Amino acid sequence: MTELKNLVKSLLEEGKVTKVIGYRMYGENNTKPYIAVTPNDAEEMVLNTDCRNNLSVYLTKKEIINGGKTGIVAKGCDIRNIIALIQENRIKEEDILIISAECKGVGAEKGSAVYANKCVNCSVKTPHLYHELVEMKGSELSQPKDKYTEAKEKVLAMNSGERFEYFSNMFSECIKCYACRQACPMCYCEQCIADMSIPRWIESSATDRGNLSWNMIRAFHLSGRCTGCNECERACPAEIPLSFINKLMYDTAKEEFNYESGMNKETPTLIGSYNTKDNDNFIQ
Amino acid sequence: MENIYKPYLMEIAEIIPETKDTATFKLKFKDPEIASVFNFKAGQFAEYSVFGEGECTFCIASSPTRMEYIECSFKEAGKVTAALNRMNVGETIGFRGPYGNYFPVEEMKGSNVVFISGGIGLAPVRCVIDNVLDLRDEFKDITIIYGARSVQDLVYKNLLDEWQKRSDVKTIVTVDPGGETPDWKGEIGFVPTVVEKASLKAENTFAIICGPPIMIKYTMPVLLKLGFEESKIITTLENRMKCGFGKCGRCNIGNVYVCKDGPVFTYEQMKALPEEY
Amino acid sequence: MEEKRITKENLIKLGSNWVNDGMNVYVNNGKKYTLMKLHEEDLKGFEEAPPLMSYKEIVFPKTEPILYYKKSQKEVEIIEPKIGGVKNIVIGAKPCDAKSISIMSKVFNWDYKDSFFNVRAEESVIIGMACKYNDEHCFCTSVGISPVSTDGSDLFLIPLANDNFGVRIISDKGKELISKYESYFTNGDSEESENVLSSIPIPEKKFNAENVKSWLDKNFESEFWNTTAEMCLGCSQCAFVCPVCHCFDIVDEDYSFTEGRRMKNWDACQNGLFTKHASGHNPRDKQPKRYRQRVSHKFKYYKDKFDEYLCTGCGRCSRGCPAGIDIGEIVERIDKLTN
Repeated sequence: MTELKNLVKSLLEEGKVTKVIGYRMYGENNTKPYIAVTPNDAEEMVLNTDCRNNLSVYLTKKEIINGGKTGIVAKGCDIRNIIALIQENRIKEEDILIISAECKGVGAEKGSAVYANKCVNCSVKTPHLYHELVEMKGSELSQPKDKYTEAKEKVLAMNSGERFEYFSNMFSECIKCYACRQACPMCYCEQCIADMSIPRWIESSATDRGNLSWNMIRAFHLSGRCTGCNECERACPAEIPLSFINKLMYDTAKEEFNYESGMNKETPTLIGSYNTKDNDNFIQ
Repeated sequence: MENIYKPYLMEIAEIIPETKDTATFKLKFKDPEIASVFNFKAGQFAEYSVFGEGECTFCIASSPTRMEYIECSFKEAGKVTAALNRMNVGETIGFRGPYGNYFPVEEMKGSNVVFISGGIGLAPVRCVIDNVLDLRDEFKDITIIYGARSVQDLVYKNLLDEWQKRSDVKTIVTVDPGGETPDWKGEIGFVPTVVEKASLKAENTFAIICGPPIMIKYTMPVLLKLGFEESKIITTLENRMKCGFGKCGRCNIGNVYVCKDGPVFTYEQMKALPEEY
Repeated sequence: MEEKRITKENLIKLGSNWVNDGMNVYVNNGKKYTLMKLHEEDLKGFEEAPPLMSYKEIVFPKTEPILYYKKSQKEVEIIEPKIGGVKNIVIGAKPCDAKSISIMSKVFNWDYKDSFFNVRAEESVIIGMACKYNDEHCFCTSVGISPVSTDGSDLFLIPLANDNFGVRIISDKGKELISKYESYFTNGDSEESENVLSSIPIPEKKFNAENVKSWLDKNFESEFWNTTAEMCLGCSQCAFVCPVCHCFDIVDEDYSFTEGRRMKNWDACQNGLFTKHASGHNPRDKQPKRYRQRVSHKFKYYKDKFDEYLCTGCGRCSRGCPAGIDIGEIVERIDKLTN
């Protein structure tokens, strides 16, 4: 197996890619996104259990992807977003080169001894679409407590009024910074519905009403698309457990339609496909 | 508590359609007491609001020498201007202002003045033109150069006629090549070219120039070539604003708040600003 | 300076009393400035990082109505919102947060006076606390604040042994707040407090802010900006968690065909739409320009205009940045460019 730094260096030297989006160290037990453009830049590249970011978010940023083939360091979960972006015709596979590794999971936060929640029950520790394979460094982590299953059962037992209140309360802390959207690889819309003013679909104020409509609409827009990377939750300065509602929608897509986003680049998207065997007869 | 965000209420007294997407409103204060004390200077702007849609920023287009109405002209571009365009005579809008600095009309006295504008840019210039014409004796030669994309895009047609009829003002109206109609009697050509050919005297002359950025960009070098002093070329900047009084942090160009330190800037001042407008 | 002494238990009881007096009491519980209601909160924060969010909301809420309106076909009636009337108390403010109100006060009070800010600022009482926390993102000393500075505090807590606090009375507002509750306090021992204060290591400056400013004075156009924050996602969390970022938006919201309100909402310069004209023109059309604005506003423009740095060195923006962008590190790099 090639060493990451050497690989990136030779890819850049040989001109196989114009840049590589990867990670570099950021203090101890932390990394941050990084772009290597010259072979020398490769020296700083790392891939370890502190590589929490999902770098696929940069693949739809025009200021970063501006011609030539782009290399990207991606864990299995990040590859799911790359596939989802291919499925949705946002990027072309031939424009990117995926450098991946057998994933050891990433720490929940800086210095954490347990996995991030997104690593629990991960089905893509072995990458499912890649062009180069390297080794992931870092120590073994332990399982975090599963808070999701219990919370899900609680919410599913609620009636609609109780659920409304539950989510209203959860989102009332929202400050409308839209960091969730900006950090989300699947929130690539040129113009977000939240920014449309004619008509104003979503109230821009961080009032309970504006907060609920924004967060609910975002959850719906991600239904069948979200891969569960939890970048929204990691970015949220108000500490709203955003991944919870996304995971509920994810489970629904799986249970109702046997669909999981970003698993196979050949599969049509859930929302973009039509099936005569649909459970609901209005669509038949 | 004094609420600086609270607008005055104004009634739309008259609507003058200018072009297919531009209109002028004549506004009257609902409260006669405010009307009797309200004052402003040529070049100042205000925040106009349609309740339920929001506020938007444009200059006061009428002259402080004519206080019967406050006038504003706007082009439909966003949410609020679209809402304004749907309004009718007799309806109420909000008005906060006046804000910002103003054209140095006092300082201009005794000099020649050239007004150069394009499209809806005639609105901020018009208030100074009216102001200067109302004090005609205190100024020397006055030239007005106005251009629009086409004959249909000319605003203030009545005023243009009025100015053209006056013998104490030289008025040149031009449209871009291809924008003329068969019976068009004015000039055909872009504003910078027309300015170059207008045989302007640069000495002891103020140039007031407002219009689309592209027009300003190409007219500035012409004025400099003609020998205009940088401190006597005056324009307005149109950065996006919300509050209008130096709080919301939106219109900053470097350490300058366009809403407070502007919107009127001399070319000399503008040159010192970072290019963020 | 007058000094008293109080036990933590009594301080929290005092907080409950203020709650009963109808005040909003925020307590630094080590993670958050939580609003103390019926349950008691633990006071922490001496050794913890600044809470994720600052408490700027008490003077500059994330969203607030600046007026209400009723409208019919032709008429509009404006109804003014009622604000104030409730004191806000912050217990355990970090020195880097305590300074924030006086910094923001400059922009909210030059020429036009923003009563929404002023009424709340007047009614806020800040009980600051010395700080023993220091991580790679902290740089308060580089912008003229220190872990022991009382600047912006009305009362100042010095954590002593056995859950006791030395309480220094900094302002009349602070004195008045506790005047009704003298019995909770005992006489203070200034020497003991001094010993604690002098045991707190004062972090070395990470950069010379004046040098940074003088570089910014000359380098609006610089290659530096293109590569400095290239991984920035434009997510704006930095501005929202910042104790002194104060930019806002004004929007109208109807709640029916005849009624609605005009809101003043937090906004941020890292958002691409912030400066975009209705025509489509955008003076800051790319992220590097927006990042340059952020750094320049903090370390040059505000200093030029109001003689303060628009930054307290709390490091929140860097700790929370999902792309790992650290403003302290960037400014440090600028400082090095000047040598």
